[in-house]
Amino acid sequence: MVQFTLPQNSKILPGRKIDAAGNASRKKTFRIYRWDPDTNENPRLDEYTIDLSKCGPMVLDAIIYIKDKIDSTLTFRRSCREGICGSCSMNIDGTNTLACTKAIHDCGDNTKITPLPHMAVVKDLVPDLKHVYKQYESIEPWMQNDDPVPENGRERLQTQADSEALNGADGHGPAGCILCFCCSTACPSYWWNSDKFLGPAVLLQAWRWIRDTRDKAKAKRLEKLKDPFSMYRCHTIMNCTKTCPKGLNPAQGIAEIKKLMVSGE
Amino acid sequence: MSANSNRPLSPHLQVYRLPLLANLSILHRITGAALSIGALMIAWWLVAAALGEGPYNTAMNFARSPLGIFMMFGWSVALYYHLFNGIRHLIWDTGRGFKLKQAYMSGYVVLLLTALATAATWYEVYN
Repeated sequence: MVQFTLPQNSKILPGRKIDAAGNASRKKTFRIYRWDPDTNENPRLDEYTIDLSKCGPMVLDAIIYIKDKIDSTLTFRRSCREGICGSCSMNIDGTNTLACTKAIHDCGDNTKITPLPHMAVVKDLVPDLKHVYKQYESIEPWMQNDDPVPENGRERLQTQADSEALNGADGHGPAGCILCFCCSTACPSYWWNSDKFLGPAVLLQAWRWIRDTRDKAKAKRLEKLKDPFSMYRCHTIMNCTKTCPKGLNPAQGIAEIKKLMVSGE
Repeated sequence: MSANSNRPLSPHLQVYRLPLLANLSILHRITGAALSIGALMIAWWLVAAALGEGPYNTAMNFARSPLGIFMMFGWSVALYYHLFNGIRHLIWDTGRGFKLKQAYMSGYVVLLLTALATAATWYEVYN
């Protein structure tokens, strides 16, 4: 359902202002979305001003610094700190990306950090991903092939071209997805229809399995996407491709599925 | 289940900085809606013409009024934008033009063609 405004309990209030930079020469203010499930208060935007010479170069370094030195209750997901785990996806300066690969010096003056858009918030910058994971499971993201394994007992082989279709010649193929869900939560269509529309991340993975020549469940996979919502709520808005921190192209993947739907191969 | 069912919804339109591509997409929908209203007005004009001179003059007087001209100008923009962007969508449907650079380029081309076609049309009207 299209709802442009936030529900009452989600309206963001002004928060605390904490200046921990003193008279440092290189300082910067981050405005960070805070919501504590243990209170009945609305979310708020807290302002933290920090000394940049004391923290690393990435936005993730800054919020880790804030958690370590200023407010240990600040809650966010992070793991690999090098753009491969997909944990620290969030909205930074109005665009979804990974905090660990976003350089502080590429941000504006007054960087605003909020959770991935249009999601239920568990705490602070942590969105509830249960639903997207369920949707991911629904496309059965695993190899389905009942043919006997090759006689030499080794793996099923692909041609170079078929492998490249998955991995991309430049490494930016659909198999490069780290499931950070930056794209899905950047998609207005997903905001309004996430109950039935699978969203770009899951659809790109659907395409990844449909395109895999070693998989034999193509017809079944296509059949599941035929209804008016699962895939056809994609209106080529392109926010997915624009925002993907890995440089993948979900919009292209969805277009390829749509083509297959028509050609019926 | 969640410990606190009162979980807030994270901000979306409130914080998302929509890229040009997204704005062009919204514009496609807005112009489509405007054209539907325009189609009703054309139907009104045709009915007025069928009813006779009196009603026809009423319709034409409205069309020649500043408001009428303003609306027709808006519909001409909407028509050309929706047409050219529709062609852009058809090209996308063939699986082409999805690289970001290409998508931006096609968007600029649509805007340029819309401006040129609208200008040409109104040049014809007044010359």
